[in-house]
Amino acid sequence: MSYAYLFKYIIIGDTGVGKSCLLLQFTDKRFQPVHDLTIGVEFGARMITIDGKQIKLQIWDTAGQEAFRSITRSYYRGAAGALLVYDITRRDTFNHLTTWLEDARQHSNSNMVIMLIGNKSDLEGRREVKREEGEAFAREHGLIFMETSAKTAANVEEAFINTAKEVYEKIQEGVFDINNEANGIKIGPQHSPTNPSLPSGGQGGMQGGGCC
Amino acid sequence: MFRSRSWFGGGLWKPKNPHSLEHLKYLYNVLSKNQTVSESNRGLLVETLRSIAEILIWGDQNDGSVFDFFLEKNMLSFFLKIMRQKCGSYVCVQLLQTLNILFENIRNETSLYYLLSNNHVNSIIVHKFDFSDEEVMAYYISFLKTLSFKLNTHTIHFFYNEHTNDFPLYTEAIKFFNHSESMVRIAVRTLTLNVYKVDDKSMLKFIGDRTAAPYFSNLVWFIGNHVLELDNCVRNDADHQSKGKLADLVAEHLDHLHYLNDILCLDIGDLNCVLTDQLLHRLLMPLYVLSLAPRLSSQDSVTQSRPYVSKVVALFLLSQVFLIITHAPLVHTLAWIILNSDSTSISDDDQAHNMTALAQSSIPSSIPKLVSPPKPTINEELELSYEEKKAIVWKKAHTSAEQTSADNTDTATTNEEGESSSQEPVPSPAVGRPFLEAIFASLDCTENDFVALFALCLLYSMGHNKGVNECLLDKVLFPAKNSQHWYNGNLIERLIQIISLSCQMNSKVRLVSLEMSIGLIQQLALRDNHSYLHDGHLAAIEGAREESTGQLRTFYKSDEIFLDMFEEEYNERKKGALNVEWLMMDSNILLPPTGTPMTGIEFSKRLPCGEGERTRRTIRAFLLVRELSQSLGMGNENQLPLTNPSACVQVDQVLDLSTCLPYNSDLIACTVVTKDGQKIRRFLVIDALQLILVEPDTRRLGWGVAKFVGFLQDLEETGDKDDSRCLHITVHRPLSSNTPNRLPLLAAKFVFDDHIRCMAARQRLTKGKAKARQKKMQQIARLLEIPANQATPSPPTYSLQAMRLQDRASRSLLGGPNRPLFSSAIKAPGFAAAVRREESGRSSRTPSPSSRTSSENTGTRSREGSPKMPRPRSEEIPLEDMSSQEGGSSSSSLPLQDPTNTSTPVANQNKVGRGATRRRHMEASRRLLSPSPRRASESPSRMAQAMERSSSMSNSPSATPPIPSSHPETETSFTEVPQDTGDPNGNNSFKRSDSADRKKKGSVEII
Repeated sequence: MSYAYLFKYIIIGDTGVGKSCLLLQFTDKRFQPVHDLTIGVEFGARMITIDGKQIKLQIWDTAGQEAFRSITRSYYRGAAGALLVYDITRRDTFNHLTTWLEDARQHSNSNMVIMLIGNKSDLEGRREVKREEGEAFAREHGLIFMETSAKTAANVEEAFINTAKEVYEKIQEGVFDINNEANGIKIGPQHSPTNPSLPSGGQGGMQGGGCC
Repeated sequence: MFRSRSWFGGGLWKPKNPHSLEHLKYLYNVLSKNQTVSESNRGLLVETLRSIAEILIWGDQNDGSVFDFFLEKNMLSFFLKIMRQKCGSYVCVQLLQTLNILFENIRNETSLYYLLSNNHVNSIIVHKFDFSDEEVMAYYISFLKTLSFKLNTHTIHFFYNEHTNDFPLYTEAIKFFNHSESMVRIAVRTLTLNVYKVDDKSMLKFIGDRTAAPYFSNLVWFIGNHVLELDNCVRNDADHQSKGKLADLVAEHLDHLHYLNDILCLDIGDLNCVLTDQLLHRLLMPLYVLSLAPRLSSQDSVTQSRPYVSKVVALFLLSQVFLIITHAPLVHTLAWIILNSDSTSISDDDQAHNMTALAQSSIPSSIPKLVSPPKPTINEELELSYEEKKAIVWKKAHTSAEQTSADNTDTATTNEEGESSSQEPVPSPAVGRPFLEAIFASLDCTENDFVALFALCLLYSMGHNKGVNECLLDKVLFPAKNSQHWYNGNLIERLIQIISLSCQMNSKVRLVSLEMSIGLIQQLALRDNHSYLHDGHLAAIEGAREESTGQLRTFYKSDEIFLDMFEEEYNERKKGALNVEWLMMDSNILLPPTGTPMTGIEFSKRLPCGEGERTRRTIRAFLLVRELSQSLGMGNENQLPLTNPSACVQVDQVLDLSTCLPYNSDLIACTVVTKDGQKIRRFLVIDALQLILVEPDTRRLGWGVAKFVGFLQDLEETGDKDDSRCLHITVHRPLSSNTPNRLPLLAAKFVFDDHIRCMAARQRLTKGKAKARQKKMQQIARLLEIPANQATPSPPTYSLQAMRLQDRASRSLLGGPNRPLFSSAIKAPGFAAAVRREESGRSSRTPSPSSRTSSENTGTRSREGSPKMPRPRSEEIPLEDMSSQEGGSSSSSLPLQDPTNTSTPVANQNKVGRGATRRRHMEASRRLLSPSPRRASESPSRMAQAMERSSSMSNSPSATPPIPSSHPETETSFTEVPQDTGDPNGNNSFKRSDSADRKKKGSVEII
């Protein structure tokens, strides 16, 4: 299970927007999209490949921990990326984005990559938040934006991978201090800065049942 | 084992529908056939485990029989069997993931109870996974965390066994409280909080009796070590090298405090007792508080080897404690120790007392340590000091708390009241209170404000902590309730000292410290918006205000940028008060103050760098001190903001074009062509401050709707080479606007009907811009009491240096530095150097050569008696309005004005004496602050008289009514108080002779 880098992500957003389902859909795609099944998980890990390098994503759902201030602030700080999720069929979840973002910006390190996700794009008929609104919000606050569906798996892969690409670029630019693990980035056991091109073991794809 | 053939029946072939009972039966079959994990069946097992999760959740939501089958077949036992073989992380991870999914998604409570009932889950919890594998560790801790979210008064019994006194979920989890992986630590903290939250008496008793002491002592020890590391980082990083690491350590400490606060907020009596005890006596007292006081030299070896942190770190950490933790018994005791404890509590005799306390509170050593015992380094030592101090401190704190809340008649209070009745600022009896003394001593900013900032923050945070009994603070941090207007004179003097220092040239006090001091003064002297400040102190603050005004005068110039800076700083200030909690999250301030922006440190948290930033700093200091003065009742706000937003035209506002626009008898029609090629027909209106594009109202003749508004001061216009009917107009966003967006508000080509109209529009725009800016500059001049015209009230006394510079500044304003000749002189490299040199040499009264040069440049003009004609940017359009506004009054006549509005008996001091006068004022105000019997016998300075008067008046402290400070009467009333000796005659004559003198010297030098 060796990797070049490990990125820690958090997923934030109101309850019921499908955070844990997104997570499970990404880490274990074999959970089939069935209409009468809502299934999610609080933690997951998966290997992806960016720029020929194995990168492991560790995703921590922060749901249910809002009651404790100490917990939320610690989570933010330890993450390199955050998926900020709202539900396109519920306007209130979109309205709360500002609060979430303020929290994130206050507690996280300034380099954390935040991706805005409008989830449940399969429920077009019940849509309350226009795609353009999401795009505008993202533009205004400097976020990447995407609409996804954990149910149909649409864009789920892309959401996580694009965020990872952004983090990876920041590492290349030297913005992240990769030797400081508190940033949510860890260098893999076989990876050393002097030998960066070392490809890691091929069995990463098996991890967590994910395929890549 | 298999009682029913029918259960077994459909399980041999994989059914088509993955969501059916048949499918689970099939999976069961697979598991029972593959009970031994081997290389060959590994993949199959993982797939089976994964499918089980899916189908169970489906069943939970859709078909009850699925779960029945799972329970009936006791399928969890398969999980355990697989786990107990050395199955490798691949299978283990899937197993844990399946369990995670199961417990995360299960909705049916009965199903959950059945799952938990057979103790398999506890067996899984205690299973020794390969925790060195980071993936296994992460899934395992997530599993425990997920379980903790399922805890409530019913489910707790599945995890906590009352009879065996066993609680594996909790005890296994806290083993990882100090894990190297931050996410694991967070999960452990979440879990513990979820456990404490469950209201189950016997479980909480178990936690309190068996685990709290060791867990908390380890936690506290861990924090202590962490703090030592932080301190080490601060000591060894004077040059901001390992900022990232320091930021981390600070954030981590905050995490700890928030965690402790979260626990304390759950309000579990026994737990809080243990935690408070551990924290106070093993961390806060021995490490934080004791590091405040200077180390006692004649102590035994124990004290010598006691770990300590630097004073800066101690103050910083204590501020954080008071900002975050609100648990009354903890913060109140801590505050009591800091504010009241005398030196006996840190001396280490008094064994007799200690023995009893120890007997009561020592932790039974028989308790098995759950976590590897703390290394002896810090903990043993902390324990020693803890044992030493505990008894006395506890006793004192508690008795005092009772006393203060019960009755306020203890001797100290009476004494203080007695003193206060004489209306003298009382030197606070900080003597014999080493910690309070140490904090007060830290407020000294003569060198710099490095330590002072933290002392300010600590005082602030103590004052704002809800858990600290107000009676305790009344004596120190608030105006005492019981005596009408007594407050801590000693503290306020130190605060005023900081403010005075920060109003001086080249001050080493950062803006943030100034703001903190101001906040504290307001906290100290204001109650219900009423100021209890003694006249002497008020006078000192007014003195500082004068000083800051004088400082700003030296920077005042009609530079384009000055106005922008001023407005930006004003808006910045209006954004809201400093957030101290955020300030105390910033690790940058732990390093010595720096002046370079390269460190990325916010402007207010460092010293200014370069002329621009110095101007900015002076503006901000001026605004802050002015605000303080106003809050203390010295005048109301009637001059700021420079632009009254309500007087501005808004977009979509309907305007009566015939009356509301005095500048425009006619509107200029034009076509606005935007960047994207859009063409709109509009009328251009140039107001006093704004440029407005109007669309005529079709329904009402002579009315129009504003479609665009922008401030003229932010305007830029250029002609078009190819088309003489065209103007390119850009309206920038005000620098002060809050949006990060720096795109201009409007950037478009304006096409007019013909060349003549285009020229006219251009002239109006340039003129309007110049006027708008000039109007504001004059507003600022009034604010700074720069005697630019007759309307200025009697100029106050200010320092010679400031006077000289102000003189030059005002003349350069009037003489028009917009003229190329002068602006080039001002922008010459020597200019900035001149100011600097003057700043550094402020004590010497000899004007530096370069300042002479610059005054020479502008001086000639002012002597010719046409100083008040402001020069517009565009030379061909004279600003008749402005000159008429200044009403032919020549500023040169001002100094000759009779000082009718002042009754001050001060004799005109000669020129040599002026610098000394200022010094005398300062000394006098200092004397005033710490009254001594000698005071009355001082030379017949007005300070003394003012003092006399103020003390005779001060029986009615509210005697000074709030009058707008700009009003001349206020100035007069103020002359009763030092500093502000409104003596226009003397001052101005000095100024004149002084400047004339300089001019002479200058010309000599130039020749």
